Amino acid sequence: MALTDQSTAAKPELLTINMGPQHPSTHGVLRLELVLDGEIVVHCRPVIGYLHTGIEKTFESKTYVQGVVLTDRTDYLNSLGNNLAYALSIEALMGCEIPARATVLRVLLAEFTRLASHLMFIGAMALDLGASSPFLYCWREREKILDFFERMSGARMMTSFIRPGGLVRDLDASILADMSAFIDAMPAYVDSYEDLLTGNPIFRERTEGVGVLTGDDALALGVSGPILRASRVAFDVRKANPYCGYETYDFEIPTGTVGDCYDRYLVRVAEMRETVRICRQALDKLPDGPVQTADRKVMPPPREELARSMEAVIHHFKLWTEGIRPPVGEAYVGVESPRGELGFYVVSDGSGRPIRVHERAPSFANLQALPRIIEGGAMADVVACMATMDPIMGEVDR
Amino acid sequence: MAVSDTLQAVFESGEVSLPADGIPTVRVPLAELLEAVEQVRGALGHSRFVDLTAVDRLTSEDRFELVYLFYSLEAHTWLRLKARTDHAAPSITPLVPGANWYEREVFDLFGLDFQGHPNLKRLMLPDDWQGHPLRRTEPLGSEPVDFTVTRKMYGTD
Repeated sequence: MALTDQSTAAKPELLTINMGPQHPSTHGVLRLELVLDGEIVVHCRPVIGYLHTGIEKTFESKTYVQGVVLTDRTDYLNSLGNNLAYALSIEALMGCEIPARATVLRVLLAEFTRLASHLMFIGAMALDLGASSPFLYCWREREKILDFFERMSGARMMTSFIRPGGLVRDLDASILADMSAFIDAMPAYVDSYEDLLTGNPIFRERTEGVGVLTGDDALALGVSGPILRASRVAFDVRKANPYCGYETYDFEIPTGTVGDCYDRYLVRVAEMRETVRICRQALDKLPDGPVQTADRKVMPPPREELARSMEAVIHHFKLWTEGIRPPVGEAYVGVESPRGELGFYVVSDGSGRPIRVHERAPSFANLQALPRIIEGGAMADVVACMATMDPIMGEVDR
Repeated sequence: MAVSDTLQAVFESGEVSLPADGIPTVRVPLAELLEAVEQVRGALGHSRFVDLTAVDRLTSEDRFELVYLFYSLEAHTWLRLKARTDHAAPSITPLVPGANWYEREVFDLFGLDFQGHPNLKRLMLPDDWQGHPLRRTEPLGSEPVDFTVTRKMYGTD
């Protein structure tokens, strides 16, 4: 709908407006500078940095284990996945073996986090587009997942539960039983969100054909994750470069057909179903055994050994005073976060603190593609585009 | 290693290594960087740009090490490209649009000048910020937090 009649207006008057950084649909503190010609966005410039807290600088003054706590705070919706990516990089540097039970539990926890993150996406996207009830249902299930995290680690979001060398502690049989019951119930919940949104004419009107991103553009701009897959590029790190034994799980990579906002929604919904399958398989094949590596240079010895072994006391002392000391070198291990390829590039000089930790944050690269899908579209579609890019400003700004 | 041999053949003046994470790494002279990026994305098939960052190796000559990461969608492998510089580097944004924000981030936090970048401005920090915080010469800063008990401590009473 044009606000000015083009035939009488001498020349179109451009209007520059600011959207954000405080706006309910910006999912944090993203600011967009929009140049409008009537209702059409002719230029869009994302302005970031409002949440820059110098996390990469802070890493350099912390020990490797203290660094785990910082990883939670970058992508706060994928805290366990971030812990995992960071732990894998350090383990690659140290060359340490992880027990089978810990590896399966890591997959289980990373997939539960993915489920929680996608629940947040669906709820928030529906809310941005004016449907408030899906948000309540998604939140209901997300709360249950956060309750599991609280029961196992004491924290609902900032869990810091996956550490270099394994997990902090084993999961209780009662938590695993409740997780199993939840996973059995989850497909019906996903059906209920789809009943509300997938066939909803208003929802489809607002998302179909809106914000189309082609596969070539997505690759050129460094986009990864569900957004790339919605643009018909079937790239998923879990399949392409399996870590934590993902090659032993049976799951599909859902892809879109057009690359519009509706596809990005559909891909994430389909991914939730695949995630449920992975969780089911992980719970079924969970072996018994320890959840921490026996490598005493990475994980401290158990408490009871300290009374019997001098070596254990020395290891304990060295780990709690100096921390882990990886050999000189560098490591990057890419993992699939709910938003795309995530990895921590860690550089060690052989001391107890890294000289550089850089997070390859998927949202940072994905956000570069935002102007591409917003420009040329209507002002009203900006919110839909932004919601389906699902940026987490914590990891964009770091 | 077959991969290292292939890389050494392509980059005659490059220094090929295989770090702990198993990602083949080539260090090329700064003057050959653009050519190397074209080769990595073309002949070597690692067309997907993944990451760019810098490491400040304070004690070395040409203290900043630029670290580029590329990915091959066919071979499913990463490839790391490195170059050293002390203040400036050629921009790869004209070749790889996805590197735009990454170069701005390194410019902002390390103060490296990417020559040929279309819009080299600060990304994370305010435009009038002084200094480049990720340089190892920049100390960790702190702001006194305003509590009644800290007012005496910091003299902000």
